[in-house]
Amino acid sequence: MQFALPPRKNQHTLPGARSSRLPLYRRKQLKTFAVFAFAVFSIFYLLTHVYSSSSSAAPAGTAGVVIVTLLDRENFSESYINKIIANREDYAKRHGYTNFFTSVSDYDEAVGDQPKSWALVPAVRHAMATYPSAAYFFHLNQNALIMNPTKSLKSHLLERSKLESIILKDVPIVPPDSIIKTFSHLKEKDIDFITTQDGEDLSPSSFVLRNGDFARFFLDLWFDPLFRNYNFAKAEVHGLDHIMQWHPTVLARTAIVPQRVLNAYSKDSNGAGPDGTYNDGDFIIRFPGCDNVQAKECVEMESYYMLWQRKIKSG
Amino acid sequence: MSLSRSPSPRLGGGWSSPGLTPGSGTATPNPRGLSPSSLAPGGISWAAAKAKSEEVRGYPSFSTRNSGFFSRQKHKISASFRGQSGAGGYVDKDAYGRAQWRPSGGGRGPLAALGMLMRRGRVRILAGILLLFMGYLFFWSTLVQLYRRSPLGGGRKIVIILGANVDGGVTDIKRAREWAIERNSIWNKEEYAKRWGYELEVANMLAKKRYSHEWREGWEKGDVIREALHKYPDAEWFWWLDLNTWVMEYGTSLQSHVFNNLESLVYRDINEYNPLNITHPLPEFYLDELGRSREGDGDTRSINMLLTQDCGGFNLGSFMVRRSLWTDRLLDALWDPVMYEQMHMEWEHKEQNALEYIYQSQAWIRSSVGFLPQRTINAFPRGACGDKNNPAVHYQEEDHDLLVNMAGCMFGRDCWAEIYKYREITERLNRTPWEILKDTLSGAFKRDSEDDEPEQ
Repeated sequence: MQFALPPRKNQHTLPGARSSRLPLYRRKQLKTFAVFAFAVFSIFYLLTHVYSSSSSAAPAGTAGVVIVTLLDRENFSESYINKIIANREDYAKRHGYTNFFTSVSDYDEAVGDQPKSWALVPAVRHAMATYPSAAYFFHLNQNALIMNPTKSLKSHLLERSKLESIILKDVPIVPPDSIIKTFSHLKEKDIDFITTQDGEDLSPSSFVLRNGDFARFFLDLWFDPLFRNYNFAKAEVHGLDHIMQWHPTVLARTAIVPQRVLNAYSKDSNGAGPDGTYNDGDFIIRFPGCDNVQAKECVEMESYYMLWQRKIKSG
Repeated sequence: MSLSRSPSPRLGGGWSSPGLTPGSGTATPNPRGLSPSSLAPGGISWAAAKAKSEEVRGYPSFSTRNSGFFSRQKHKISASFRGQSGAGGYVDKDAYGRAQWRPSGGGRGPLAALGMLMRRGRVRILAGILLLFMGYLFFWSTLVQLYRRSPLGGGRKIVIILGANVDGGVTDIKRAREWAIERNSIWNKEEYAKRWGYELEVANMLAKKRYSHEWREGWEKGDVIREALHKYPDAEWFWWLDLNTWVMEYGTSLQSHVFNNLESLVYRDINEYNPLNITHPLPEFYLDELGRSREGDGDTRSINMLLTQDCGGFNLGSFMVRRSLWTDRLLDALWDPVMYEQMHMEWEHKEQNALEYIYQSQAWIRSSVGFLPQRTINAFPRGACGDKNNPAVHYQEEDHDLLVNMAGCMFGRDCWAEIYKYREITERLNRTPWEILKDTLSGAFKRDSEDDEPEQ
C-alpha cells in the first residue's frame, strides 16, 4: 500500500527535528554564549599554564644542575678554599650550571657532637631548598678537582644511553663481597641517585641526586639522628652503606657507576677500588688523604691544580 | 480523536502510538486501537496512516524476530508495561483478550472497550509491580553489591586488611574466647566488605620464626601491607584493622565517610591535637618550604597515610595507607636494624613508636600524613583512654561512629565481653524496618507475659 504522503521519519523524532530548526535568535544566543565560554576557558587555561610553568621552570642560567660544595673554612686556608671555588666556578660557567657553596660550620647545630663530615647531608638538603627548581644536585667534596671541565654532566653521565651503559649491575654494594648486590635491571628513568664505590665503601664524596620526593626521603633518612648517634666508624659513609643494604626502596633508585667516572682517587691515596686511580683525562680527581689534614693545605693537590690551570688556559 | 492515540493510560511508560513499536512483531493491523480512529470522519489521521505504512514497510506477516525463547519472554514482560501497544503484539493474541472482547465489541462502543482494557492493563501493571517488588526484595542488594564490586563501582579500590590469628598460639594458648573473637571479628569485616564490594584480606599474624629470630614482632604489619599491595594491584587505599575492632555501621561507605571528605576531615598540622608534643613544623633552616610547612602542600592528593591519635599519641589499630611510592618508602623506613637496636627497649609499642619517631625526625614523612579525628575510624570504648565518657575519644552511639577499636583490651579488660557488647549494639542499629517491627511486637508481647507472670 502506498500513500500520497511520503513516509516521514518516526513520529517520536519530531521533537528532535524541531530542535534542529531553532529559531534564529536562539541560535545566535547560543553562538555568543559558546564564543564567550570558549574565551573564558582559554584565558583561564593560559593563566594557569603561565602560572604553573613560571613556578616550575628552571631559572635561566642554571641549566638544571646545582654543584654543591661544602667548604671547611675553619680547617683550610683561605687560599686553598679560593682555588677550589675557582675550579668549580670555571666548570659551572662552561656549562651554565649553578654553584652552591656552603660552610661546614653552618650545620654545626644540626650535626651536633657527631663528626663534621655528616654536614654534607643537610648541605645538599639546603641546596634543594635554595634551588627548588633545579633538576640535579651534584655534590662534590671540597678536596677534589674537576680536571676535565669540558665534559658536561649530561653527556658524561646523565644521558640515558651513557648512564645505562656504565651502571654497575649485580655488584656487591659494599666491596668486596657484601651479600646485597645492585639490581641488574636498572633503567635510566628509575635512577635518582648516582654514586661510586671506592675499595671499601660507597663513596658519598661525589654523587648526583635528582631533585624530587626521593631526594627528600633519601637525605632525611640518611641524616636520621639514630644513624648519626650510632657511631659508625666512618660516620656518613657507613651510614650510606647501611641504608643502601637495608632499604631496597633506596637501592632501587641508585646507580653505582665506575669510580673513575665521578670520583677517581689520586695515586698517593689509599683505598681506591680496582681501576679507581686517576688517569690523565678523567673527569675528577679526589684527594681523600686531605680530608683529615690539619695543615690548612692539601699539598697533594698543588701539582694537579697547576695542571688544571694550564689546561683551562690552553683550552 | 483521542483514540487515535493509545486509549490506555501510559502507566507503564510505554510509547502511546501503536504504530511506533515496529519491534513488537505486529503483523496485522491492530483492530482495537486503530479502527475507530482510522475510520473516523475527516479522513485518515496521520498517526493511523503512519501506522499502516509502518506495517507495509515493516515486517513480514510471520515474524522471526521473537521466535527465540528469551526474546519472547522479554517481550511478555515488557508487554505488560506497554499498555496498548504491547497488547496488540503477537503474544497477546491469546483467548483471554479476544474471546471476551469480540462479543461485546460493536454494540457498546469504544468506551466499554476502554474500560475493559483499563482493567486488564491494571491487572498487568499490578502484576508487574509485584514482580518488580519481589525482584527488588530478592535481587536488589545482590545487584547493588555486584555493581559496587565491579570496576565501575569502585569497591575494589579499597582493601581492608585484618590482622588475625595474633601470635597464632605460639606465645599463648588460644582459648575459646580468642577463637570467638577471631571468628566474630572476621565475620564482621566480611559483612562490611561484602556490602560495599571492598576486598578483605585476613592476614595471618602467626608469630613467624623470622620475626622471633630478628626480634621484630609488631613490624609484620608492614610486611602484610606490602603483600596486600602486591596482591591487589588495582586497589588504591588499604585500611589496616587490628583484630579487636568492630565495624558498627554497615551502611556507611568509606568513600562517603572518609575519602570524599578529606578536605574537611583531615588535619595535617599536628598542633591541632598533639599529645606527644611534637615540634611542628620542623625549624631547621636547611629544609625546603615543604619540609617546614604546617600543612604539607595543602593538596589532599598528597595525603598517603590517614591515621588517628589517641590520648597517648599515634594509634595504628586502624589506619589507612594509599598505594604510592611514599608508602613503599614509609614501610621500608619503618624498620631498620640500627634504629631497632638502639630503641627496642624504649619502643614499648613497637612499630607505633617507630612511626612516631620517624615522623618526628624525618621531614619527608610529615608532608604526606593526614590525621583524622579519632572517632572517624577509631573510636574507643570506655576504659580505653579514660573511663569517663569523652566525646572526642569514646564511641557515641547517636553519632553512629563507624568503628570501635577495643584498644588495649588485653591489658586487664575483657576483649570478648567488649566485642560482644558492640556486636549487640550494631545488630540493634542495623535492623531492617521489618526486624524493628518484629522486635517491637515481640517486645510488647514479652512485656505482657512478664506482666502476667506475677499473677500466676
